[in-house]
Amino acid sequence: MGKTIIWETKMDVAMARAKAENKHVLLDFFNPG
Amino acid sequence: MDAVTYPNESVIEFIQKYMIPLRVAFDAQPLSTDFNLKWTPTLIALDENGKEHQRTVGFLPPEELIPSLLLGIAKSYFDRERFSEALSMLEKLLKDYPKSDSAPEAIYLQGVCKYKSTHAPKPLKEAYEQLQAKYPSSEWTKRAYPYRLL
Repeated sequence: MGKTIIWETKMDVAMARAKAENKHVLLDFFNPG
Repeated sequence: MDAVTYPNESVIEFIQKYMIPLRVAFDAQPLSTDFNLKWTPTLIALDENGKEHQRTVGFLPPEELIPSLLLGIAKSYFDRERFSEALSMLEKLLKDYPKSDSAPEAIYLQGVCKYKSTHAPKPLKEAYEQLQAKYPSSEWTKRAYPYRLL
């Protein structure tokens, strides 16, 4: 298995991680089809 | 994006190092309304407080996504007057992705960052000269045109 992007799916979880890890958030709105 | 860009090893490594990836469906509420979502894919760079600093719409290949995200991070720092951090991101963009579509805007923003942190006009003129030499047809060269007189 190769590496993959591990996406967060909840805004509050992503923002908590962003604060804790001092990173920006990449928010991707997508069409699941 | 799923077929080409997100499986790319450089993209995965970049996102792991610099960003928290968050993916939601285009119709997920309240985010879809909060961010005025109209089309997919829409990619938005947020700071750690949830404020938007950069938005792109449409497919981006790996060699354009990474510099676009670097530019988004740089804009986030610029918007908060954290110029040295913005310049660090812009320098990385211009060193690693000088042929990307984001490069001309990065040169423009680099000049503005330097100007705002030093109050010397020379970096603005240098930005124009660099844009004119490397990207003469870029819209950012046109936007920097008045700086030739500084």
